[in-house]
Amino acid sequence: MLRRAFLLLIMIGGIGLVVWSGVQNLHHRRLEAQRRADQAVIVRTPEPDPSASPLLGKPAPDFTLVDLKGKKVSLKDFKGHPLLLNFWGTYCDPCKIEMPWLEEFQKKYSSQGFEVVGVTYDAEVGRDKIAASTRQLGVTYPILLSDSDAEKAYLSDSEVLPMSFYVDRSGKIVQVTAGLGGKDQLEAMVKKTIAAND
Amino acid sequence: MTDMKPMLAIAALLALTASPAITASAQLNMNAPAKGKTYVTYAAEPQTVAANKQAMLELRFQIASGYHVNSHTPKSDFLIPTAVTLQPTAGVKAGVPQYPHGVPYSFSFDPGTKLDVYAGSFTVKLPVVAGSGEHTLEGALKYQACDNASCYPPRTVPIKVLFKAK
Repeated sequence: MLRRAFLLLIMIGGIGLVVWSGVQNLHHRRLEAQRRADQAVIVRTPEPDPSASPLLGKPAPDFTLVDLKGKKVSLKDFKGHPLLLNFWGTYCDPCKIEMPWLEEFQKKYSSQGFEVVGVTYDAEVGRDKIAASTRQLGVTYPILLSDSDAEKAYLSDSEVLPMSFYVDRSGKIVQVTAGLGGKDQLEAMVKKTIAAND
Repeated sequence: MTDMKPMLAIAALLALTASPAITASAQLNMNAPAKGKTYVTYAAEPQTVAANKQAMLELRFQIASGYHVNSHTPKSDFLIPTAVTLQPTAGVKAGVPQYPHGVPYSFSFDPGTKLDVYAGSFTVKLPVVAGSGEHTLEGALKYQACDNASCYPPRTVPIKVLFKAK
């Protein structure tokens, strides 16, 4: 009788242990999932995927677009300069997170010829609203209004915003990123772009 | 004397199965959400309403997993609201669409900014007064989708609401 009670106690204890460990496992898995989700938001593209864009390794397609003051700006205006061409939208909060970083990098690396150009993918938004958005972000680098030719050349395979093309001094696209990445990773790609074909 | 071996074996087995469950907490398969060009789909379903009386049609939309769209009343002027537009149709007097409340959402990289979004599915209600018979209301839903680290340009999805008034 005592022996049976003891064995029953062991079995109940074993079942309890399984249930408790299952609850703990679920809790740990949820925490891990949340941790990965949080990390995934900041570290979206830790390394450029060579297969992600057909433009990678190719000369940057030429464009002539209009800035917020109506002045025409072409890719060839930046010839010989390492360039970050950043597609964004006024409705894109992830874009607005990285744009102040790009402003910072523009200033930090301007002595090495580095330039940043923003291209807004805002078909229906007027210049005033775009200008207000860039003012709010503290952005002073050129902002150009996209057109169908530029969109066809750069965004035909993907409409993810933000989307950035890193162009070296020779005019070749050496990096492509889509989505918000980490600031350190962005800066590392800026440095690589400056160093390429230097 | 009772044979204790089976009971001891069961107890041992239970104890052994508990320990891997405790340690294997990081073995989680994180399937990334599928990324497609269509972020919102319209689930067209024929409906029946009372003729010549104020009635309500329901327009049901499904948002792809992993994405959200702004509600009809986003919290910033820069954000594009989700909105239904409909073409006039003979025999049908349509009122102003009624949108559901959004749910609060913040990107984890910007927790201080609160957005008002739809995720999963949402239903827009449309008040109508329609004459007897079958009717088709045509229009579009405009929306702008994001996931947790990117956004996508505004899109429209065509809507066709088939209903019978009797």
